[in-house]
Amino acid sequence: MTTLMINGKQYELDAEDDMPLLWAIRDIAGLTGTKFGCGIGMCGACSIHLDGELVRSCMIPFGAAKDKAITTIEGLATEEGLHPLQQAWIDKDVSQCGYCQPGQIMAAAALLRENPNPSEDEIRTKMTNYCRCGTYLQIFEAVKQAAQFHGEQS
Amino acid sequence: MSTLSNLSMTRRQFLGTAAAGAGVFVLGISLPGCAKVDEQGEGVINAFIGIDENGVVTFQNPFIEMGQGTYTSIPAIMAEELDADMAMLKVVQAPHGPEYRIMFNNTTRFTGGSFSVRSSYMTMRKAGATARAMLIKAAADTWRVPPGECTTEPGVVIHRESGKKLTYGELAPLAAKLNIPADVPLKDHASFRLIGKPVKRTDNRVKATGEAEFGIDIKVDGLLYAAVKQSPVFGGSVQSYDQDAVLKMPGVVAVEEIPNGVAVIADQYWRAKKALEQLPVTFDEGDNADFSSKSYLEKLKAALNESGVRVENVGDADKALSEAAKTIEAVYHAPFLAHQTMEPMNCTALVTKDHCKVWAPNQGADFVAKVAAEITGLKLDTIEVITPFLGGGFGRRFIMDYTAQAVTLAKKHPGRPIKVIWTREEDTQHDHYRPMTAAKYRAGFDAQGNPLAIQITTAGEGPSGRLNPEFLEDPAIDESIFEGGPHQPYGIPNKRAELVNVPVKPLPIGYWRSVGNSQNAFFKESFIDEMSHAVSADPVEFRRNLLTEQPRFKKVLDTAAGMANWKSEVWQDENGIKHAMGVALHESFGSIVAQVAEVALDDGDIRVVRVWCAVDCGFAVNPAIVKMQMESGIVFGLSAAWSEEITLEKGRVMQSNFHDYPILRPDQMPDVEVEIINSGEPLGGIGEPGTPPIAPAVCNALFKLTGQRVRSLPLSQYTF
Ligand code: FES
Ligand code: FES
Repeated sequence: MTTLMINGKQYELDAEDDMPLLWAIRDIAGLTGTKFGCGIGMCGACSIHLDGELVRSCMIPFGAAKDKAITTIEGLATEEGLHPLQQAWIDKDVSQCGYCQPGQIMAAAALLRENPNPSEDEIRTKMTNYCRCGTYLQIFEAVKQAAQFHGEQS
Repeated sequence: MSTLSNLSMTRRQFLGTAAAGAGVFVLGISLPGCAKVDEQGEGVINAFIGIDENGVVTFQNPFIEMGQGTYTSIPAIMAEELDADMAMLKVVQAPHGPEYRIMFNNTTRFTGGSFSVRSSYMTMRKAGATARAMLIKAAADTWRVPPGECTTEPGVVIHRESGKKLTYGELAPLAAKLNIPADVPLKDHASFRLIGKPVKRTDNRVKATGEAEFGIDIKVDGLLYAAVKQSPVFGGSVQSYDQDAVLKMPGVVAVEEIPNGVAVIADQYWRAKKALEQLPVTFDEGDNADFSSKSYLEKLKAALNESGVRVENVGDADKALSEAAKTIEAVYHAPFLAHQTMEPMNCTALVTKDHCKVWAPNQGADFVAKVAAEITGLKLDTIEVITPFLGGGFGRRFIMDYTAQAVTLAKKHPGRPIKVIWTREEDTQHDHYRPMTAAKYRAGFDAQGNPLAIQITTAGEGPSGRLNPEFLEDPAIDESIFEGGPHQPYGIPNKRAELVNVPVKPLPIGYWRSVGNSQNAFFKESFIDEMSHAVSADPVEFRRNLLTEQPRFKKVLDTAAGMANWKSEVWQDENGIKHAMGVALHESFGSIVAQVAEVALDDGDIRVVRVWCAVDCGFAVNPAIVKMQMESGIVFGLSAAWSEEITLEKGRVMQSNFHDYPILRPDQMPDVEVEIINSGEPLGGIGEPGTPPIAPAVCNALFKLTGQRVRSLPLSQYTF
């Protein structure tokens, strides 16, 4: 048994150390907001935060996350409500099929934490997750809206 | 014609409502000839709308949601006439069965062909209007006033004079007892508050929180996971495998054969996958181990010199070409393409003695049920199909190969739910591909440069003939391989088109977003551009002159050119980088789309800067969704044009994942502007028509920039 800390909650997991964190989160902890897209670190559908850092969970062996704080899409909202990015995603109707969107939001959350006021160029180059439905322009717009909200809050 | 009937008197459970008993008003649309009678002797009819005592309107959607917006546009049409509050609407997927086959005179039901809105618009309006009339009647009866004195506001019936109000929730149990009125009048367009408006998506919240459930996310007690390995050569089969080598690995439950491969079942997906990787397995490659896409392309090109089946004949193209002052000819081809839905193929199944439950991302619940019934031997009415959100479809999820695997495995392990998940590698190498196609175009001009004739030969095999031969009126003419080439709107007096069928078996082929239009629009609109340059005409002007009798097409073209502030010439930006515009115009699925692409070439690197897109889909039921689908279609087409290609050697697919089958990245995304033309013509589709024009628009711009004519895709094979 290994203990993982996901979204502030402890999970006891029975898995081999080489199992990618993605599958531990999805199939054992049952948090299926984090998606499987490619398994080779290219698409970003599996994006999560590990000790606050954006990672692609299909590339991290489960054993390497033992003593770290894991945040998934399910842990992004707080008691006060949705994360400003989630709200922006809703306001802008970003999602089409929606499969890539949890990963997109996690990537955007990391970007805004690093730089609460990113330029258009930064958004376009730092948001690297794939979207097969082609929602990229809406994603850029939603990140901008959430950044603005951030600005007004501070 | 559909007729409406009130289901409240049946005991049939209405899916998705908390209780199907008292207080649920269920309205169904019965399809003549489809109504069945259940054991209690009660009519069992399909039901689209349920209203519970809290006023929650549950809508059973016959169309699936794969991103294209059907969980918003379809219920909004119904809610418009019902005068329902969109916030009180719950959209669920209708079960399988003849009762929900509302397409093409109630013969079928699927989600594809950009058909959802246009095939159900009137049915949904009538359903909503009828339910509203019954709620009004229930209120009028309660107040003892004539129904004509009552009106509605979202979710409430109001008595105009007294101001008395009753909510739909309060009225539902009363309305449930009423007879269905016939011929309820529909709203006039001027009073629409949802139809024609940018109604917000009903699925935007769950998709931003991670709660949206896709097939791959299905949770069932006692769930087992299966990883599969299929014969790398199409048509091959398993020869031998050594299950003892992996049965003792942690969590492994069983090793099983599936129709064209082998599966490992375990308590966790990762364990199943790991064991599968270590499972010694050999395949009998069958007869197709020498297939290569290169040699198939040679076959296609050779076929272009044969005479084929005539599919279009106007005037006398042969004669016109032989008398022409000038002729041009070009040969084009387009590669095999994979769908690459973001969510890989997966399916969960549970089989017991007399029941089978399948959770399947699908583009037609009836297809799932049919496959499950065939494999289990159970009757169709004991098969339950659950359709979650689809992480993309694009035509891939018509094909039930992954469903067959899950049901096959579940049948071998009765009582245990089993979820099959394909890796991206399996998904890429066992798709049903957009067929490779080649075409030869010839045109002739008179001495003044006016086009006299166009002649097209297309070679390939279409997905319809392979998958749905019953769709073909003439088995020799499979439109799904040449559609979008012949039958152009351009006023060229002599036209001839032929089709040479070149079977590509054993390779699985399928419907890929916009089907034959995806390659034929590239051929046709590139060639029209070649024609314009051959007579030194501006590509927009040249097309306009050929559209004098096609005002609808002309308007779409003019709109796009106007939006772009069309430039005929190449120009340089402030950094000295060359830019140019290219244009394409194409009709598909009943909608006409023109796109202008601005392309820049920076030291050999292509950048698609901006796309202006004009669309005439008759009438935009939800303009926001129409715009999003145009953008989405553009990305899909651009992605393919830029870098997508499936190749085969020794009978196997050479690509496996996004590193060797790259899809469009965010940093490659052009800006897109969309303008909608509400022409009032019959409704056209929206999910696909955005895809075909973008490849030729971009290639036509590239020609201006480089002088190099792109006659095959993808662009990644060229250096500029
Ligand atoms: S699944 Fe991890 S990057 Fe694609
Ligand atoms: S919304 Fe479908 S993949 Fe991004």
